[in-house]
Amino acid sequence: MIEQIREKARELLESGELDVVIGYAEGSDPTRTTPIFCRKPEDTDKLVLDGRCVNTLPAYLNKRHEYPKKGWKKTGIIGKGCDIRAITQLIAENQLKRDEVYIFGAECEGVVAHPEKWDGSLHEGNCASKCSACDVKIPLDTDFYPGEKPEVDRSGPYMVSAPALATLVKMDDEDRFAFWRDDFDRCFKCYACREVCPHCSCNICITDRTMPSWVDQAAHTKGVFGWHLTRAMHLVGRCTGCGECTRACPVNIQVDLFNQKMKEVIQESFDYKSGYSMEVKPPLITYNTDDQETYIR
Amino acid sequence: MSKGIVRHDFEPKIMGFVCKWCTYSGADLAGTSRMDYSPHVRMVRLPCSGRIDPQFVIKAFEQGADGVIISGCHPGDCHYNEGNYYARRRNLAFRNLMEFNGIDIKRLEFSWISAAEAIKFTQIIDKFTNQVRDLGPNEGYRALLDPYASRLVKSSEESAA
Repeated sequence: MIEQIREKARELLESGELDVVIGYAEGSDPTRTTPIFCRKPEDTDKLVLDGRCVNTLPAYLNKRHEYPKKGWKKTGIIGKGCDIRAITQLIAENQLKRDEVYIFGAECEGVVAHPEKWDGSLHEGNCASKCSACDVKIPLDTDFYPGEKPEVDRSGPYMVSAPALATLVKMDDEDRFAFWRDDFDRCFKCYACREVCPHCSCNICITDRTMPSWVDQAAHTKGVFGWHLTRAMHLVGRCTGCGECTRACPVNIQVDLFNQKMKEVIQESFDYKSGYSMEVKPPLITYNTDDQETYIR
Repeated sequence: MSKGIVRHDFEPKIMGFVCKWCTYSGADLAGTSRMDYSPHVRMVRLPCSGRIDPQFVIKAFEQGADGVIISGCHPGDCHYNEGNYYARRRNLAFRNLMEFNGIDIKRLEFSWISAAEAIKFTQIIDKFTNQVRDLGPNEGYRALLDPYASRLVKSSEESAA
């Protein structure tokens, strides 16, 4: 599978159709892979694709990063199903044009929850929880797919994959508040959750703005609450569920629980699944005159 | 003094973010008509309910508000045609988010009040004030650790007590 992708990537880089191919290469130790930017055709020999490839590469396509500003006309990107969902959402939000990217897709068997858990193969014990409810193992929209791409029915509703969510919604408000207070106590605001996210698009994040200071910059619990609420609110109806925020968190806060909960709410209220269409607008930038208003007096 | 004076142990601090064209004018009408209503609401006038960023609400809770009320024009009456429709969607999501974070959703109120509905305005303010008063102070959020708070210069009121 990866041989065919390497071959195609080499061919397109040699012909000059692509300026760069973003993919995965062997990392610093056998359990890890690292993102690689192939500028020369011979770099494509380094490409790998297996269960260790956890990173969400579309984060590099986001305009807040320097890479899209380098003047590359067309970027090739190797994507798992969930990454291609993120690209689709970026296109739906006008952050990216479809003809600016060339998507290499491949069937995905799932990825490891964290590189630490990699023991040579992918099995139930180390597979990421997002892969359990995945319906894009055969990716959505690709320019290159090795072999024949089978049709998959993706009309079903959004499935929550984190087991912790079910127990959390059953708790009463005080217990849930205590749960988050204890979790957020560990947060020291490294902003890894923001940096890995393919959808955090602001050039200057609201937490980096100090005049006025909307989100308290100190890493005490009050400031941390403000930050995580803000982050979750900004991703409502946009998060495509790659789960990178939770994986990247150095203190094991399940940041994506907020996103998963909101995806469920958006699905119920507006019948919208992010990352499946380039045409349908995200729910919070549009409206219906007969939207639900049971909470309004 | 139609209502008489009742003293309570706890008087809530309530922030109101309101639309300038409807709710603020409604409050104005209530004032000029000399209607009685609870004095606990601190109102902030904004151009439209679509202008009310959920960030305002988060900040209000951070700064010690016990309840927050958001209010704007009825659907279809928006001065900017569609601002309140966006607000409606955004606040539906935001309420669910706050609830998931463990904040009692009764502390957050959303209502449509037009410029002519001074009576509805006073009723909603009174009802919400009582609701928040029954819930008591927003202890959870107030108790969140702010290690710098102890180093702040105390206000004259606090240092006297």
